[in-house]
Amino acid sequence: MRSSLVRRIIRRLFFAVLLVLFVSSIAVVLARLAPGGIGEDLLTPPEVRARIRAEFELDRPLPVFYLHWLGRLVRFDLGTSFVYGRPVGELVRDRAANTALLASTALAIATLIGIPLGVLTASHRRGILPAVVRGASVVALSTPPILTALVMVLIASRTGWLPVGGMGTVWHLVIPALALAFPVGATLERLQAGATTETLRQPFMLAALARGVPRSLLVWRHSFRASLVPVLGIYGVIVGTIFSGSFAVEIVTNWPGLGRLMLDALFARDVHLVAGCAVAGSFFLAVGTLAADVALSLVDPRLGEST
Amino acid sequence: MTRNKKLGVGALAAAALAGAIYFAVRANPELEVERRGGTLRAILRDEPTGFNRYLGPADNSKELLAQVLHDRLVRVNRATDALEPRLAERWTAEPDGVTHTISLRPGVTFSDGAPFTSADVLFAFEAVYSKAANSAIGTSLTIGGKPLEVTAPDAATVRIRFPSPFGPGVRVLDNLPILPRHKLEPALRNGTFKEAWGLTTPAAEMPGLGPFVIESYLPGRTLTLARNPRYWKKDDRGRQLPYLDRLEFQIVADMNVEILQLESGAVDLMFSDLRPEDYASLRRLEGQGRVRLVDAGISLDPPMFWFNLDPAAKASDPRRGWLQATDFRRALSHAIDREAIVKTLYLGAAVPAFGPVTPANQTWYVSDLPRYGYDPAAARARLFDLGLTDSNGDDLLEDKAGQPVRFSIVTNRGNTIRERTVAVMQEQFRKIGVTMDVVMLERGALIQRIISKDYDTVYFGTESTSRDPSSNLDFWTSSGGFHVWNMGQAKPATDWERRIDELMVQQVAASDLAERQRLFAEVQRIFAENIPVIYVTAPRVTVALGPRVLNATPAPIRPTVLWNSESLAVRPEGS
Amino acid sequence: MTRVGQALVVLWIAAGAFAPVLAPNPPAAQFEFPYAPPMRPRIIDADGHWRAPFVYGIRVRSLIERTYEIDTTRPVPLVWFSNGRFVSTADPSTPLLLLGSDAINRDVFARLLYGARASLGVAIVAGVCALLIGAIAGAAAGYAGGWIDDVVMRAADLLILLPAIYIVLALRAVMPLTLEFHQVFWLMAVILGLVGWPHVARPVRAIVASESRREYVEAARAVGAGPGRIVLRHLVPAAGHALITQATLLLPAFVLAEATLSFVGLGFPDPAASWGTMLLEAGRNVRAVSEYPWMLAPAVAIILFVLGLHLSAGDGRRGEPLTDTSLGAK
Repeated sequence: MRSSLVRRIIRRLFFAVLLVLFVSSIAVVLARLAPGGIGEDLLTPPEVRARIRAEFELDRPLPVFYLHWLGRLVRFDLGTSFVYGRPVGELVRDRAANTALLASTALAIATLIGIPLGVLTASHRRGILPAVVRGASVVALSTPPILTALVMVLIASRTGWLPVGGMGTVWHLVIPALALAFPVGATLERLQAGATTETLRQPFMLAALARGVPRSLLVWRHSFRASLVPVLGIYGVIVGTIFSGSFAVEIVTNWPGLGRLMLDALFARDVHLVAGCAVAGSFFLAVGTLAADVALSLVDPRLGEST
Repeated sequence: MTRNKKLGVGALAAAALAGAIYFAVRANPELEVERRGGTLRAILRDEPTGFNRYLGPADNSKELLAQVLHDRLVRVNRATDALEPRLAERWTAEPDGVTHTISLRPGVTFSDGAPFTSADVLFAFEAVYSKAANSAIGTSLTIGGKPLEVTAPDAATVRIRFPSPFGPGVRVLDNLPILPRHKLEPALRNGTFKEAWGLTTPAAEMPGLGPFVIESYLPGRTLTLARNPRYWKKDDRGRQLPYLDRLEFQIVADMNVEILQLESGAVDLMFSDLRPEDYASLRRLEGQGRVRLVDAGISLDPPMFWFNLDPAAKASDPRRGWLQATDFRRALSHAIDREAIVKTLYLGAAVPAFGPVTPANQTWYVSDLPRYGYDPAAARARLFDLGLTDSNGDDLLEDKAGQPVRFSIVTNRGNTIRERTVAVMQEQFRKIGVTMDVVMLERGALIQRIISKDYDTVYFGTESTSRDPSSNLDFWTSSGGFHVWNMGQAKPATDWERRIDELMVQQVAASDLAERQRLFAEVQRIFAENIPVIYVTAPRVTVALGPRVLNATPAPIRPTVLWNSESLAVRPEGS
Repeated sequence: MTRVGQALVVLWIAAGAFAPVLAPNPPAAQFEFPYAPPMRPRIIDADGHWRAPFVYGIRVRSLIERTYEIDTTRPVPLVWFSNGRFVSTADPSTPLLLLGSDAINRDVFARLLYGARASLGVAIVAGVCALLIGAIAGAAAGYAGGWIDDVVMRAADLLILLPAIYIVLALRAVMPLTLEFHQVFWLMAVILGLVGWPHVARPVRAIVASESRREYVEAARAVGAGPGRIVLRHLVPAAGHALITQATLLLPAFVLAEATLSFVGLGFPDPAASWGTMLLEAGRNVRAVSEYPWMLAPAVAIILFVLGLHLSAGDGRRGEPLTDTSLGAK
C-alpha cells in the first residue's frame, strides 16, 4: 500500500508537469491569436509600434515564436515580461506568495467555520441557530465573492474599522480572506451537514446511542470520518476555485496577488507573463489536488487500489 | 452707560479685528501654503514598469513619475499654457528662424551632487533618438521625420537647430525630461540601456533633477519618494522647494478602492480626475468636509465619434453610398441632443462639443465655426436628400435598395460614461429612424479593429498632453497615425484633407502666433464642415482632493495636480 | 421549505417568460429621471383619502446631486391590462418605476424581468450542460479509474486553468462584428458549460471512486449488474448532494461570468438587459450603489433564485435540504 501511494504521487507529479507544459503552451498560442498586442496604442507612432513588435519577436510566425518560448521554458526560463521588462519568474514569485497567503488564510477560515457549523446544523434539526446557519450558508453560496468584497470594502470605508484595500498589516487581509472564505465555508458546511445526517442514520449509531454513548460525542467523532471523502474530494476543486475566484477579489480589495497580475497581463497581451501566471496557477492546482488526493488515499485506503 | 458704550465699542472693534484677521488668513492662503514638511499620499493606477523615462512609449505611471522625479529645460504651465523657464534660464531665437540658443541655469546639481551641464542635455537627445530606447519622446522631437540638431558650445549653453522652421519653437522641449548622463551613459554605450533603471535598481543609482527622489519601492504596494535636498527651485520668498518631505504613492488598480480610500482619508489625491458618475456622491462628501472638489476647467480632449472614411475599407459595402457621405454625418450630428446628454449623464459637468478644440484651449479655440446642432427636422431632411426613406412603414429608414439604414458603433467596455453616451445616442438615432448596433469590445481588440480599419464607426477617446496643434500633426494630417477616420494615407483621399495638410504645413512653419492662429482657424473651419468626427460633449475636469492638501492648482491635463508637485503642501495630520 | 423554494424558482422563470406583459415599461425606454428612486403604489393619498391604486410622480430637487422629491400634488392612477401590459400608469410622462431607474433613466424593474430571460436562460442552459458533462465524466473517471481517470481529470484541470478570456477574445475576433441576441445566448451557454463542467466532475469523481468500493456496489456487481447500471442507479445518485452544491455555486458564477464575457466583447448587444451587466455596472461604482441601493436588485434576484433552487432540491419531510441523496444512498 505504501509503495502504491508513492507510485501514485510520482504519477501525479508527472501529470502535473505535463499540465504546466500544456496550460502555458496554450496560453502562449492563444495570447498570440487574440487581437491586439503589446504596445498597440493609437497614440504610439506606427514606427515605435513596429519596433516593439520586432523586439518581442511578435513579428515572427507563431510556430517560430512558440518554439523559441518552449526552448527557454525547458531551461526553466519563463522569459521576460513585455510590460515590466523584468524576468517573469521574479514577478510571478512575488505575487504568487501573496496569493498563497490570501488563499490559505481563506481556506483555513472556511474550514474552521464550515465544518463545525455543518455538524451543528445536521445534529440539531430544531432551534433558531441551525436554521440561521442553514439560511446564511445558502445565501453565502449564492453570493459571488466579488459582491461580498464590494460590500465589505464599502462598509470599511464608511466606518473606518478596517483598511480599505492594499496589503501591509494583518488587518488588510481580513476583507479579501473573508470574501473568499464565505462561499467556500458554505460549501463545506453543506457537505458536512449532509455527511453528518447520513452518519446519524447508520444502524451502528443507533446501537451506540442505545448503549448510552453520549450523542454529541458520537456525532462529532463519526461525522468527521464520514465527511472526509466528499470534503477532501472538493478541496482539490476549491484550490482551483480560490485561485480563479481570487482575481476578482484581489482587484476589488487591491491585493497585489497573482490574479491581478494575470488580469493586467491578459489585457496588455503580455504573452510571457500570462504563460508565467498560468504556470503558477497550474502549480497551485497540482499541489492542491495532489495533497487532497494523498489525504484521501490515507483516509480511505480502498481508493489507493485503483491506481 | 458710557462705560457700557465703551465696552460695546471695544467689543465691536475686537470683533472687527478678529473678523479682519480671519478674512486675512482666509484670503491669504499662503500663510498655510508655505507649511513645509509632511507627506502627501497619492495614487498610481498602474504598477510602474521601470524608471527610465527614455524607454519605449509612455504609460500613465511613467509619465506621472517623470513629472515628479525629473525636470526639463522649459515647462508649459499646465494650468495657464504659458512657457516657463526651468533648467534653461533663458533662450534666444537666431534670425534664421530655426536656431535657438539656450543658457542653462547655473549651479543646478542632480540629487547626488553631480553638476548639471550641457552634456546632460546632449545625452538626453542622443538617448531618446537612439534605436535602443525606441522612445515615443524621440518621435515627438522630430519635425517632418527629421531630428533636431543639438550642440553645446560650452558647459552652460546649448544650441538647438530645427530641421525646418517650427512655430512652437522651444515649447517642444517640455517633452524631454533630463536624466543624469553620468548614471545612464555607460548603459547606452554597452547595449544594456533597455535594462537600465529597472524596478530593482537601487534608489541611490537613480538621481534626478526633479523635486523628489525615489526612497523605496514595494512592488504592488507603495512607491515612496523623498524630498530632493538639492532641488534647484526656491519659492518667492527664497525658501527651498519642495514644501513636502515625502510623496507616497499607493498602487491602486481599481477606481472604487481609490475613491473609498480618499473618502476614508487614507489618501489625499486621486490618480485621475473624477468620473461623471462619481460626481453626485462626492458632492455630498464635500458637504461633510471629507473631500474638496476643484473644477479644473473644460477638458481638452473630447471623446470622438468617428466614421471609417477609408474608401478602400468600404469598397464592397453596399451601404458606402450613404455611410461615408458627409451629409449622413451632418444628419446624425443634428440628431444628437447634446444638452440632454450633458444634463442626464454628466449632471451638467460638461459642455456640448462640436469640434476637437474645446473652449479650454484659449489660444486656439474658434467660436464661430459651422455646427450641426440638435435639430431632428434638419436631420430627417438631410437623410431624405440622401434617398433614405421609410419605404415599408416600420418607422425605420431604408436606402434606395430597400436595405435598412443600419450601422454599428464600436466602443470599449469599462468606460462607463462612453457606454452610456452610446446607449443614449442609439435611442436618439432610433427616433429619426436610424438603427445603430452597439458593439462593446475589450480595449486591445478595439484598437486592433481601428488599426485594421475593420469597423463602421467608433466612439473612443484618448488624452493628448499638448494644446498646440503642431504637436498633434498625427491627427490633422492625412498621413498621420492618429488621423483616425482614415489613418496613414499615402496621399490625401479628399480635397479638403489635402487642403488641411497644406494649411498645417504652413501653420507649423509660421513663427508669428497671430498668423498661426489664422491658419489653424481655417483648418478648424474645413474640419467642422466636413465633420469626419462627430463630437458630443467635452466634460469638465473635476479633481477631488483630501482636506489636507494645500496650494493645488489643478489643470485639465494629466497629471492634474502633481504637475507642480514642488509647490504642493499639506496640513499636518490631525489638524 | 421545499414549497417556498419551488415557488421562488417558478416565480423567476415566470417573470422572465412573461416579462413583456409584467414589465410596466419597455426595457430600453429612456425616461427623464436618472437614478430615480423606486415608486410606491399607494391607495391612501396625502390627505388621508382612500382612492384607487395610484402613484405620486417625482420631481427633481437637485439634478447635480440627483435628489428627487415626491410630488404629492399630482397623483397618477394605475391602469391595468392596457397596451398589453399588466400594470402601468395612465400618464406616459410619469412612468411606473417600481424599482427606480438606472443611470440612463431606464426602468430597473423592467430590465430585471427582461434580464431574467437572458441571464437565467444562459445560466440554466450552461448549468445543465456543466452538470451533465461533469457528472458523466466524473462518474466515468471515478468508476473506471486507471488511464480514463487520468485523462478525464487532467483535461478538467486544464480547463480550470486555461486563460479562457483569450479563447473568447480570439473567438470574438473571427466572428462578425454585430451579433444577434440568440447567437450571443447560445455561444455563451456553450462556453460557460464547457468551462464549468470540471468543477462538477471533481467532487463527483471523488465520491464515485469511494462509493464504488463499497459493499453495496460489490453486491450489485456480484448479482451481475453492468457498469452502466451501477453508475447510473447507484453512484450518480450518491453524488447528488455534491451535484446540487456545485450547481448552487455555478449558477451565480455563470451569471457573473456573463458580465465578464461582455467585458471581452461577447455580451448581449445593447440595449438588451442582463443581470450580469446590470451588476457589473453597479460594481463599477460602489459609492453610487450605497446611494442608489436599488441598483443591487440583480444581486438580490440572483440570491433569491439560487436560494429557491437550493431549497426546492431539499427534502421537505425532514426539513433538511439535500440529505436524501447524500453519501450512502441505498
